Amino acid sequence: MYNAGIVWQSRHKMKDRKTTHFGYQEVPVEEKAGRVADVFHSVAARYDVMNDLMSGGIHRLWKRFTIEMSAARPGQTILDIAGGTGDLTARFSRIVGPEGTVVLADINESMLKVGRDRLLDRGIAGNVEPVQADAQYLPFPDNTFDCITIAFGLRNVTDKDLALRSMLRVLKPGGRLLVLEFSKPESKLLEKVYDQYSFRLLPFMGKLVANDADSYRYLAESIRMHPDQETLKQMMADAGFVDCEYHNMTGGVVALHKGIKP
Amino acid sequence: MDPTFRAGFDAALETAINAALEYDPGTRARLAKLDGRTLALDITAPSLTLVLCIEGDRVGVRRHWDGEITTRLHGSAISLLRLLRDADATPAGLGVSITGSSGFLAELQSIMRDLDIDWEAPLAQLLGDVPAHSIGGALRSAGRWLRDSLDTAPRAAAEAVSEEWRLTPPRAQFEAFAEDVADLALATDRLEARMALLQQRLARGDD
Repeated sequence: MYNAGIVWQSRHKMKDRKTTHFGYQEVPVEEKAGRVADVFHSVAARYDVMNDLMSGGIHRLWKRFTIEMSAARPGQTILDIAGGTGDLTARFSRIVGPEGTVVLADINESMLKVGRDRLLDRGIAGNVEPVQADAQYLPFPDNTFDCITIAFGLRNVTDKDLALRSMLRVLKPGGRLLVLEFSKPESKLLEKVYDQYSFRLLPFMGKLVANDADSYRYLAESIRMHPDQETLKQMMADAGFVDCEYHNMTGGVVALHKGIKP
Repeated sequence: MDPTFRAGFDAALETAINAALEYDPGTRARLAKLDGRTLALDITAPSLTLVLCIEGDRVGVRRHWDGEITTRLHGSAISLLRLLRDADATPAGLGVSITGSSGFLAELQSIMRDLDIDWEAPLAQLLGDVPAHSIGGALRSAGRWLRDSLDTAPRAAAEAVSEEWRLTPPRAQFEAFAEDVADLALATDRLEARMALLQQRLARGDD
């Protein structure tokens, strides 16, 4: 984990430096990626169990809807950014078939290893390429992918605008970007229930199952700091995507944003 | 409908269809020959659109489909079910509109009619052969009853409405009445024509 001295020093220099949010904390821009990496190194081994537990299995339905909206076809090339443990990649791999390719990208080495091993254990190989990559600086040529998905990853990216522009660059013209991310509940009542759940129950479950309450507290905080539906839609349009739209799911707890590269 | 609920419904339906197909290898082999084709069902009552995609020997259930639709059917759930199950049913006879390939629909009708799911196999794995056979027999009887009921339900409902409750006239009575009205209309037309002829004669001053 992080050296307390470095954190202390960096906080004192913060006035002169550009900062960003890490959950509810303000941290120097260059520190965020490292801190997020620590969170995911910590949760990688039990990420799937926790996902099922935290969402009651509903994350599978959110991902199912994402796959439908991707309109993926045999032979296509698909990039699954922040692909983590490979849920979407596994389904895309079946759809694109042996003629197509799915690139499983994640900035976090631990998550990528868990994802790659899990896919291999399920016999999914041949058309899947795991790549450790930063969403802000995607290491692919222009106009490479028919479709890009980023599921529950964008909120952890330091510079979201830079990442969206990087995704636009590597998409083929006419290709689509799908951003699946936690968002803002539509009803006030649901928001209150959701707040109680996120800030009380979630860290408790994190402590119980993964023995790591802090990481799960960060996950809850980072969700609140993430742009709401309309803001993210505007960010996508500003980055250069057209026909931007979003679908609220589970009352807006999660939203799927779609944008097309002109 | 919230996409989460809809995705849950689609996932449950897809799982149920494919779990049933597990026990009918013949149907799976026939489906595999139709790989890549899609059937869209625009159901009017209840209002719902389903896209069934043949993926290898499996069936995928979707809400959105941006690709090509092989056949699209538009009608009520009961009509669509009858169309797929009943050998003599035609889209026009059931009030179902069809666009796209009718050949694909004919293939699916044939597959649905020959569907032979061995329900006893999964039960036997759980309970053993003897209880599975008894339950299987009961299920088959229930299936036959349901199929017969579905076949006769529209006719029985129509008879109850007209003969028992007298809410609408019986078909024969209505047809006789309609025939009388047609005769009357014809007679009126003839009378009108005759009167017109007589008026012409009067105007000319004929004897």
